[in-house]
Amino acid sequence: MSIRVVVPGQLFSYTDGQSRLVAEGATLGEVLEDLDRRHPGLRFRVIDEHGEIRPHVRFFINHQPALALSRALADGDELLVVGALSGG
Amino acid sequence: MWVFVPMNDDQLLRYSRHILLPEIGVEGQEAILAARVLVVGAGGLGSPAAMYLAAAGVGTLVLCDGDTVDLTNLQRQILHSAEGVGRLKVESGRDTLLRLNPFARVETVAERLEGDALEAQVAAADVVLDCSDNFATRHAINRACVRHRKPLVSGAAIRFDGQVSVFDLRQAESPCYHCLFPEGQEVEEIRCAVMGVFAPLTGIIGATQAAEALKLLIGCGTTLDGRLLLLDGLGMEWRSVTLGRDPGCGVCAGRGEA
Repeated sequence: MSIRVVVPGQLFSYTDGQSRLVAEGATLGEVLEDLDRRHPGLRFRVIDEHGEIRPHVRFFINHQPALALSRALADGDELLVVGALSGG
Repeated sequence: MWVFVPMNDDQLLRYSRHILLPEIGVEGQEAILAARVLVVGAGGLGSPAAMYLAAAGVGTLVLCDGDTVDLTNLQRQILHSAEGVGRLKVESGRDTLLRLNPFARVETVAERLEGDALEAQVAAADVVLDCSDNFATRHAINRACVRHRKPLVSGAAIRFDGQVSVFDLRQAESPCYHCLFPEGQEVEEIRCAVMGVFAPLTGIIGATQAAEALKLLIGCGTTLDGRLLLLDGLGMEWRSVTLGRDPGCGVCAGRGEA
């Protein structure tokens, strides 16, 4: 199950500056675990020590909100990771 | 309730390129002229937003910022110029806006807007623009807009990433900012002063905020209500994602119920 992943600039330090990534997984949780294997440390920036999505991070699958790590993905889906920005 | 005053010949000429647009026309321009818009933050986003709103004829602009102009601001905060360094941003900004449009009325609040002052300004505004630079202010503005059911145009920019959305809190089905990003104790504050920001990015996002504010005032087109627009300034790619209300939102749950 190949998933296209797009990450914001806040995570570039884990991805060598790349915004477009590829990961494997049948659920949002699995995709994040695979991303962490490929880019160590990335998962903890978006999921806290209790396994909860951090409040300043949101996930969108094919432009629709994904609110739970159990959310299923299909081959070719796009996962967009969004971090809250405060700069003005 | 807006009170429309007929335009004089100078105004008809000045705003003729708006009036020519069938989506705006005389009626839409009169709505802009009669409007009161609150702009919180006179920095990177507030600069282009306020300049376009003033040039477009917004009747009363309320510009709020407690900071003074710093040399490091001038790379992107186009309301201000070298001679303004050290001045209050709202005073420097007011001068620029009145040079752009002497017919604009610019009110200034030279402090961080909070508490009763924030409530009063939001209650009096037709549209609120969040051009602030910290999460505490963003959440305070959102709470006030929820309470007073005012449309909120929210923008943010850092490094090469920009975000802009409309939370039209007059509409029962519209999400609020807290539905999107709940207020949390461990929120990561990323500041331009530390991380940097690409100068034109703030122009693009701030100008988009002005566009959305004018559309709200005129009542034309489709706003970003219920959508978050994301700009990757490095790849120069826009993405739009769908937002929904959080039924458990700590700020707006129950809004719209009898």
